[in-house]
Amino acid sequence: MAATILKKVVLSNPKLIGKNAGIFCLAARNHWNYQYKPGPYPKTPEERAAAAKKYGLTVEEYQPFPESMCFGDYPKLPDIGADSKDPHYPWDMPDLRRNFNEPLHVRSEIYGGDRYDISMKPRFSVMHQLRWFLGTVFGFMAIYFYLDDYKFGRPVTAKQYPGQGVHYLFSPK
Amino acid sequence: MGQIMGSYDAKKIDLYMDDKPSFDPQAGFSYERQKREMVANETDLVSARIPPEFRDYCSHYLLDYQVCRYKHMPFLYKCAHEKHEYLNCEQRDYILRMKEFERERRLRVREQRLVGVA
Repeated sequence: MAATILKKVVLSNPKLIGKNAGIFCLAARNHWNYQYKPGPYPKTPEERAAAAKKYGLTVEEYQPFPESMCFGDYPKLPDIGADSKDPHYPWDMPDLRRNFNEPLHVRSEIYGGDRYDISMKPRFSVMHQLRWFLGTVFGFMAIYFYLDDYKFGRPVTAKQYPGQGVHYLFSPK
Repeated sequence: MGQIMGSYDAKKIDLYMDDKPSFDPQAGFSYERQKREMVANETDLVSARIPPEFRDYCSHYLLDYQVCRYKHMPFLYKCAHEKHEYLNCEQRDYILRMKEFERERRLRVREQRLVGVA
């Protein structure tokens, strides 16, 4: 029974075995840090083409970081946070908004959907927010200093305590 | 007397809330004013642990009230009359302060008027 079902599944999707075997190969074989390290900085056009191919990019869109930043041949990808990506696109990994084998941004750990979105467009510009913030603070300060001259309390004299001078009632002795 | 605009206008003669009266207490009276008397004993207030800001001319009522509370704890409704007496006394004290304020205000206005004439 189980064998029949397996046969049916495999026959209905012939690429299934190859795809899954690829994932398992990738996970099982490349699990040492040096295997994930980027290669040396590409200097010749051939090296650039090889690096672009390695990261699954075309030669035109491949762009390494400057050599002084020591990222080797790791590609410089556009700064787009996960929150700025289209949520309706059929991603392979919808929670990460990432496709299979898509190169990760070098700062991808901070650009996740639960962290920071570097490409976020604020609803109001920062200058607009600053103007409103300072306007509120200094506006209330201006009102405070203006009304400072108009303070008044209740119409009573100081409270009378025995031992602090002689106090009198308004009735005759 | 006592309305809020009264104390607002008193700014013009530099008179504010909780100021001390500056004139002779007997000035303008045809009779001799009665002195306020402290009924409660200072040592009693200290031993009852009544804070200094409550040791005013009404503190004997407050002392009675606290004694009553101590006696009837936790049936504090039995001290309603003592509390009422105390709060009435505080109200009379407040009215006296308002009267002093109004007297001070009128005397200052009168003084200014006399200075203006002279």
